[in-house]
Amino acid sequence: MTSKLIKSITLSMALLFIAAGSFAQLRLPAGYYYKKLPNGLQVVVIENSKVPLATVEIAVKNGSFTEDSVYNGLSHLFEHMFFKANKDYPTQAQFLKRTQELGAIWNGTTGSERVNYFFTFDTDSLYQGLKFLNAAIRFPIYRVEDMKKERVVVDGEFQRMESNPFSQLYIAVNKKVWGDLFTRKNPIGIHEIINTATPEKMMVIKNKYYFPNNSLLTICGDVKHEQAFAMAEKIFGDWESSGFDPITKFPIPKFKPIEKTDLFVKESSLARVPFIMYEWQGPSYETDSASTIAADVFSTIVGLNSSKLQQALVDKGLASSVSVDYNTSRYTGPIEVSVVPNPNKVKECYYELNKQINMWGQADYYTDEQLKDAKAILLRNDEYAKEKPSSLPSQLSYSWASTSLNYYTDNTDDYQKVTREDIKRYLDTYVVGKPFVGGIIINPELNKTVNAASFFAAQ
Amino acid sequence: MKKYIYTLLIASAIGSIKPAMAQTKAYETTVDGVKVIVQPSGNDIVEIQTVIRGGIDSYPASKMGIEAMAMRALTECGTAKHDKNSFKNELDKVSASISGNTGKDYATISMSCVKSDFNTVWQLYTEAITEPKFDTTEFTRIKQDAINDLRANESQPDASIDKMANKVAFAGRDYAKEPQGTPEIISSLTAAETKAYYNSVLTKSRLFIVIVGDLNQADIESKVKGLLSTIKKGAPYTMNASFFRAYNNSFNEESKELATNYVEGVTSGPQVSAPDYYAFQIAMRIFADRHFLDVRTNNGLSYAPQAWFSPGSISVAKFSVSTTQPNKYIAVFDKLVDSTKRNGFTAAELADKKVAYLTGFYYKNETNGAQAGSIVASEVLFNDWRRSLTLIDNVKKVTLTDINNAFVKYIGNIVWVYQGDTKKVDPTLYKNGTLHQGDNPVNN
Repeated sequence: MTSKLIKSITLSMALLFIAAGSFAQLRLPAGYYYKKLPNGLQVVVIENSKVPLATVEIAVKNGSFTEDSVYNGLSHLFEHMFFKANKDYPTQAQFLKRTQELGAIWNGTTGSERVNYFFTFDTDSLYQGLKFLNAAIRFPIYRVEDMKKERVVVDGEFQRMESNPFSQLYIAVNKKVWGDLFTRKNPIGIHEIINTATPEKMMVIKNKYYFPNNSLLTICGDVKHEQAFAMAEKIFGDWESSGFDPITKFPIPKFKPIEKTDLFVKESSLARVPFIMYEWQGPSYETDSASTIAADVFSTIVGLNSSKLQQALVDKGLASSVSVDYNTSRYTGPIEVSVVPNPNKVKECYYELNKQINMWGQADYYTDEQLKDAKAILLRNDEYAKEKPSSLPSQLSYSWASTSLNYYTDNTDDYQKVTREDIKRYLDTYVVGKPFVGGIIINPELNKTVNAASFFAAQ
Repeated sequence: MKKYIYTLLIASAIGSIKPAMAQTKAYETTVDGVKVIVQPSGNDIVEIQTVIRGGIDSYPASKMGIEAMAMRALTECGTAKHDKNSFKNELDKVSASISGNTGKDYATISMSCVKSDFNTVWQLYTEAITEPKFDTTEFTRIKQDAINDLRANESQPDASIDKMANKVAFAGRDYAKEPQGTPEIISSLTAAETKAYYNSVLTKSRLFIVIVGDLNQADIESKVKGLLSTIKKGAPYTMNASFFRAYNNSFNEESKELATNYVEGVTSGPQVSAPDYYAFQIAMRIFADRHFLDVRTNNGLSYAPQAWFSPGSISVAKFSVSTTQPNKYIAVFDKLVDSTKRNGFTAAELADKKVAYLTGFYYKNETNGAQAGSIVASEVLFNDWRRSLTLIDNVKKVTLTDINNAFVKYIGNIVWVYQGDTKKVDPTLYKNGTLHQGDNPVNN
């Protein structure tokens, strides 16, 4: 009863925190400029003259979080098709030729909550580069024959992932963590969905999500914001708004909590070393932004060489590495523990890992000095993260999609404000005593001596 | 904040020397006979790389991995003044990194920190290089870690096929030595012999130092003097370069239960002193674009078709794909090589690639680490670090005839390796060619 009451109070507090945030004025770091075009397209210009290059990126709130079992993997295929053909460059040969003329370095990524496309070229090509981006995002051409070829390519990317034993374990764990809604956390998708995708399905995605009012355009580099805004407005200004918020119109279902702890053993001849992964459902930016910050601080603490976790596992030779990560997400981010155990001490490693996790809720699990060190690391990491201008748009849009622009701006300062109580609340709410999914992938030969199933099981 | 994303491969080629740019003029100075190259950076990050020349030349095949273990031990087995934990804890406090790595041609001991922490981190860096303890208990622990890393790497299909390609292509040569060693050799190494090995290669004659950061020259010289004060002079070292040629096509396979199949080919490339070095580098980058277009776009055969030039004391060109249709791939590949040899590249392709070099030049200058890496590679390969700054000038001089001649000259017989479902591949297609024109079109 008490625990329920505390949960209810803390949840209300978190909601208030978010509500207050949503009305707050937009804050951006120095050198960042913001404009929202009448069609809803948000544009950020980052003035950074370190090198005479410009990077343009368009990010869209799309990805596996929008995908049910009929569409799983198609945000990713859509991303590939972006680079295929459009009204200005009707074949991929012409598309690629144009990237070569621009001397562009380019890429695209698809994650759970964002799809982004980015090009870097010399700053004099900015206008041409924006026009090129505009043609690709607004006027793609989907031909059946192009899709047939690209489906094989995307499936090939999937097969490459499946050829990696660690990815195999990752997928197996995540299937259990997210249950019926696994597709919402699985950007790579499902083979048969990818292999039967049609131009019609691409158009469904385009007509749901690919609108200016669901996108962020970032221009970064040796540019002046007034000129960059003018170019953006001229080129993207007539892109018509959908008139609806896609996420409101096509709501994202809530994840069902993990009911009980589930541990499993997976054998694979490809796993030359064993690998252990634990995963919990962690905080959502939507409902508990404060815990997303505390999560990163805690992960940094237990990554310190001096931490009890590293000392118990790595220093004592039970594991080659152990890491704890939280994946910041708008819709329930995973908390993961990854361990590469010493193959000769898998059982000891497993018991020690559990012992350590069971102590996470104790006040003396980390010292004040470690908390201070973790904050100092996060402060300096910000310096490193800002070193590479061409990476800034991607960092910004990740926050835009999964949190907010203010979150991005305040992130490093917010880490400095985290207290022991914040960390305790995060751990108590999401980890300590909470059900989780754990898996170990192990070579069948090694498993003959280890017999992982004899101990790697829920008690 | 780990982020799971699925990337579309960048179309441009990888693997060649990357350029660096002079934001403020770079210079070199000599301290106690050791060259120190300084590139001011205009930011608050300091990156330093101390290079030990030699790599695989420095140890016999029976001791492969000894340099890698020495590099690992520098930061994992304590120093005269710090045990392992206090050393790592001090680094943690300032979020700095010190690490040692080794490859076929040289080893690098790197440090990276925020400028305000420089004095603290430099002290630890100096200790790691000049006073490593090689504590036996810690050494036993890191041997297990190194073996785990080797096996984990073997679980990565891309790393595994590349390792197999090197092993088969360079069989019988020194270059076949694998710098990370084997589990068996690593198991047998002792802390004492690894320390003795490290002391034998840590000589002023093999060292040079690259600094990318805004530090005062007098301060740099004074600190480097301190670093070098206990390091012996040693005998001069010169890199042994040699040419790689495959005398016939070959095909080696390994059965693996993978979800797809991995193919890699190795053939000749110009030595670093060759006049057509840049011409071939550009030719391979353009060929990589063609390979991508033909294999992925036009035929949908692979997610990740790649072609690149890998320079070193032995320079080679490599091609790789992951594909479910290996027989179809080799047919497409043969046809592409044949048509490129017969018809050459176009003036437009060359012009576009020169623009791409310029973008790449500045792109690599975005981080201090990349600049340092580029300077190190140029100094090791050419004995001329300034080549990392003059790359664009050298590229500008290259003509269409140069790149066409270079491609024809070096792309000959290929050593192919394969991992995956061996029932899906016909080795004769790889060994005999697929164009049925009397002789193999990919032969010289």
